[in-house]
Amino acid sequence: MITTNDLTKKYGGHIALDNLNLNVKEGEIYCLLGANGAGKTTTINLLLGFIEPTSGSAFINQLNVHENPKATKQFLAYIPENLMLYPSLTAVENLDYFSGIAGKKPTTTALKGFLEDAGLQPEAYDKRTSTFSKGMRQKVGIAIALAKDAKVLLLDEPTSGLDPKASNEFGNLLQKLRKKGVATLMATHDLFRAKEVATHIGIMKGGQLKQQFMADDISLSQLEKAYLNTMDYKETVS
Amino acid sequence: MIGKTFIKETKELFREGRVRISLFIVLALLGVAVWISTRQYEAVNDQYAAAKTTERSVWDGQGEKNPHSAAHYGTYAFKPKYPLSLVDQGVDKYAGTSIFLEAHNRNDAQFSAAADQTGLARFGDLTPDFILLFIIPLLIILLGYNSLTKEREMGTLALLKSQGISFWKMILGKWTALFLPILVITVTLFLIAGVVLSRIEDFGVFNWDALLAMCLIYIMYYAVFTNLVLIVSALTRKSGVSLVIALSMWIAACLAAPKMATNVANNQHPYPTAQEFAASILEDKENGLDGHNPWSEESKKLEQDVLAKYGVDSLHQLPFNFDGYRMQKGEEHAAEVYFKHYKLLKDQYERQSEVYQGLAVLSPYLPTRFMSMAVAHTDYGTHWDFSDAAEKYRIATQKFLNEHFAENSGYGEWGWQADADFWQQLPAFEYEPTSLKSTIREQKANLSILGIWLLLSFSGLLLTVKRF
Amino acid sequence: MLRPNFKYELKQLLRSNWLWLLCIILISLFSFATYNGLKKVEAREALIASAKAKTQENDTKMLKTLDSLEQGLEVHLKPWDLPSDPIVVGSDHPRVAAMPAADFTFLATGQSDLFAHYKKPKVYGGGIIEDFTEMTSPVQLLFGSFDLAFVIVFLLPLLIIAFSYNVLSAERESGTLRLLAAQPIGIRTWVLQKLLIRFFWLSVLVLVSLIGVLLVFKADPFTNISGLLGLLGLVLVYMLFWFALAFLVNLWVGSSAKNAVAMLGLWIGFVLLVPSMLNQLGTTIYPMPSRTLMINELRARQADATERQDEILDNYLRDHPEYAVNDTTETRNFWHGYMASQNLLRDEIKPVTDRYNAQLKKQQRWVNRFKWLSPAVTIQESLNKLAGTATSDYENYREQVLAFSEEWRAHFMPFLYNNQKFAKADYPDLPRFEYQKQDQSQMASIPMLLLISLVLFGLGFLASRNMKSGGILNQA
Repeated sequence: MITTNDLTKKYGGHIALDNLNLNVKEGEIYCLLGANGAGKTTTINLLLGFIEPTSGSAFINQLNVHENPKATKQFLAYIPENLMLYPSLTAVENLDYFSGIAGKKPTTTALKGFLEDAGLQPEAYDKRTSTFSKGMRQKVGIAIALAKDAKVLLLDEPTSGLDPKASNEFGNLLQKLRKKGVATLMATHDLFRAKEVATHIGIMKGGQLKQQFMADDISLSQLEKAYLNTMDYKETVS
Repeated sequence: MIGKTFIKETKELFREGRVRISLFIVLALLGVAVWISTRQYEAVNDQYAAAKTTERSVWDGQGEKNPHSAAHYGTYAFKPKYPLSLVDQGVDKYAGTSIFLEAHNRNDAQFSAAADQTGLARFGDLTPDFILLFIIPLLIILLGYNSLTKEREMGTLALLKSQGISFWKMILGKWTALFLPILVITVTLFLIAGVVLSRIEDFGVFNWDALLAMCLIYIMYYAVFTNLVLIVSALTRKSGVSLVIALSMWIAACLAAPKMATNVANNQHPYPTAQEFAASILEDKENGLDGHNPWSEESKKLEQDVLAKYGVDSLHQLPFNFDGYRMQKGEEHAAEVYFKHYKLLKDQYERQSEVYQGLAVLSPYLPTRFMSMAVAHTDYGTHWDFSDAAEKYRIATQKFLNEHFAENSGYGEWGWQADADFWQQLPAFEYEPTSLKSTIREQKANLSILGIWLLLSFSGLLLTVKRF
Repeated sequence: MLRPNFKYELKQLLRSNWLWLLCIILISLFSFATYNGLKKVEAREALIASAKAKTQENDTKMLKTLDSLEQGLEVHLKPWDLPSDPIVVGSDHPRVAAMPAADFTFLATGQSDLFAHYKKPKVYGGGIIEDFTEMTSPVQLLFGSFDLAFVIVFLLPLLIIAFSYNVLSAERESGTLRLLAAQPIGIRTWVLQKLLIRFFWLSVLVLVSLIGVLLVFKADPFTNISGLLGLLGLVLVYMLFWFALAFLVNLWVGSSAKNAVAMLGLWIGFVLLVPSMLNQLGTTIYPMPSRTLMINELRARQADATERQDEILDNYLRDHPEYAVNDTTETRNFWHGYMASQNLLRDEIKPVTDRYNAQLKKQQRWVNRFKWLSPAVTIQESLNKLAGTATSDYENYREQVLAFSEEWRAHFMPFLYNNQKFAKADYPDLPRFEYQKQDQSQMASIPMLLLISLVLFGLGFLASRNMKSGGILNQA
């Protein structure tokens, strides 16, 4: 569902992403690990079509993102690091608005169903989102993905700033979606959560994908070691 | 601390494109405005000088003529343009520039420039006063709206607080950084104006004191705006909101308040129309002595009184021409009537001025505008003063002519003519506008209103900063 | 995407206090301005009515006197005040040549505070050059009046700016833009829809409150439907123009504050700078000849005419032999010579005064050619025309009064030179003045401004074509 072929992004002389080749299939959760500036967010922005690749290409559901910006967005849902909603609208109204502009027309009952599936407590449905915590806003974000019936989920640091309980709930939600066949790409710093939810894990540094693992093949401590090793490794060029 | 904040703020300001662009635009506009005004000023003054000498030679060259015919023929008083009108055009465009001085009638100044222009003229002109009064306050807003909000937005405020900063010192630094560029622009502009004016020949009335006074008035005005902008910036959370609020204040103070003030002033103390004014004067005139009408009751009474006074029984026995005497008495009556009605009009104008001063509570623009015009001698007060001086001269001229007629001819000698060189004996009309000192004394009310604005806005700023 | 946008835009507007604040501001501005405008119109109408009543009253007296004179009764009037003298009727019993207010005069003060609204042309006693200016405090002229045109031309754009400057940037700044941009929509279309929706609601608000205020103040907007439609059309296209600018600025500029500064710069440019520069250029290219120098010229001619009064009268009578034939008495008094010399003087100075009118017309043509550079000028001019207070309206009035003045004087000339008395029977033949309005329809500027706005919208679309939503996203 998510494919990149030699995807490269340069800003002037600086290489933000260097020949990335990724392939995330249905029912997979791929976690990208890496320090700030490793190229994780650049990858997501490229997949969203927010920026143009310097070379290479990105595909969502076999469609080239660059050539079909609107069509590829039909299939994907995106949860930015700090997901913001319209504060003067309620959870249901926000959900209705976002699925509305995506071309869907669910009924109010259906909308509430999505919010329930996303794990939002029922008393919050008709409250304005100005008082919502980050975890609650993310649940609405997941509900938007559900309402859209997204096949691809792009997550940028979704668990940063969440308390452990909310983080755990979020992990469970991702598992649910995975079982429905959603392909998920998640950029994160959180090794523990990555090991918990991912099917595949990649470690990035300096715009390059340095290592890849199947999540089941590696223990948390091994993952940590691999991560630290990658980070410590000084490249001869620099 | 104050110095550090000042240096940091100034650096930030000048590193930003918007500041450089807006400074450049303001300076370019100022340049154009000064250039246009200088040209206009020179042209108008040349015309004034030409008209004045031509009119005098027309008067002097009347030839042999009955003095009363000359009185009807009349002469013109032309209003000069004063040097500081280069900086502030005031109401010059809307006030007439020439007054016809004739027997029996006081005429209003005629031919305002605005009446000879299209409706577009009402949008305003690109003159230095437009930039001083409207654009520079706008520049202050542009430079200062985010002075304090940005500290909040970037989160540097918490950092500053943790450094144990004294807020009033920080504010003072920010205030100086915002005010100094404005001060430099203003002082430069006034210096340029001073240099230009002292280079123009015949700058008789120009003095640097008046220019300095004007400069100080504007500096006060800008200080008020600087305070207001900083208050708004301290009270709002977002830069965008701060900008919108500061702009609304600008619109209210500079655009809406003056217009509102004219409507309120005119609703409360309306001016008569020209027709009404003329009609009421005519009514009063008819109820008194008519110099041309020997049959009226007033005339008969005057005749009796004069005969009794000189102890003679017929007008022919008087040592002077009674026609000329009666003419002068009639003139004096008419002058009284005019004095009364113009006094009423002036009272109305003064009441309107009070309304403007009352509404100055809403807008620092109003007192500044009035003081600036007054110092530049382009205000309505100067116009009144000029028209009163012209009237005085008219009355003196009539007296001069009537007395010459009365003393040199006999009763009934309407055909008598004065010598051709007699006309030159009439002194020329000279008008000196009020001195700077008395102008400032007259503007006391406006000055104190602006002073109150300054004080209140400063204390407001200190109070808001305490809670910042 | 239109449906959810429409639905939730309104919801959000209603929930923020913005709309209510805007409503209150609009209604109070409209009310104050309408009140001022109507008050002015009322004063003007009352003035004209009282002048006419006064004339009526004087006429009745005059007719009574004429009646007595014709029956040979004694009259208590000085010999030079008898209305049997045509010069007395021509000078002391002038007609009121009034310019009544139009249906929409309350809209725009225009030039109405500069000029008088009625004149009484006389055979003797007016100046050689009729002065049409009104006695208004110059301070008032300088500041201008708080009328509806001011609210529409100056203040409405500011409300629009406050309403539209951050449509896109607010989404970025509050963080919702990333979520929005991940939806299958075009950001340009989305911004356009948002702005058009806001335009729609603001229009509804403006139109409803405007008509409401007019009804409350009994300005009877429905008596002149085409005028009302013209007014509403002008307001709408002007608003659309500002929304088109907001569209461009939203797409091109970055943060909310920068947008606000850019919009404000445009406002200053269109509303303050372009008009004053146009005026400055107009008066520089077509300068008015000096009025003070004109006085010199007039004086010289006047002196000359006074000196040659007898000669002029002889020439005049030679040119008008009919008077010699009709009048057997051939008596000549002061008036005969005076009128003849005045007529000559008027003919002589006509080219001098015409210079001013011609120059003013040239300036006006200049304005008309370049008024498209600033929609503010276009709208102000159109509103002035609709209100009947434009420069051209007063020029039209001036010309009509001068023509009437000519007619009035000419009417008495046969009486004077035939030494014929004015009789009661001659009263109904006195010339009367009826002001002829010029065409006030201002529809032409509506399609033109509409076109300008559409071009701006198109420009926004074309120019930002290559700009991906990402470009907008990453400016933050």
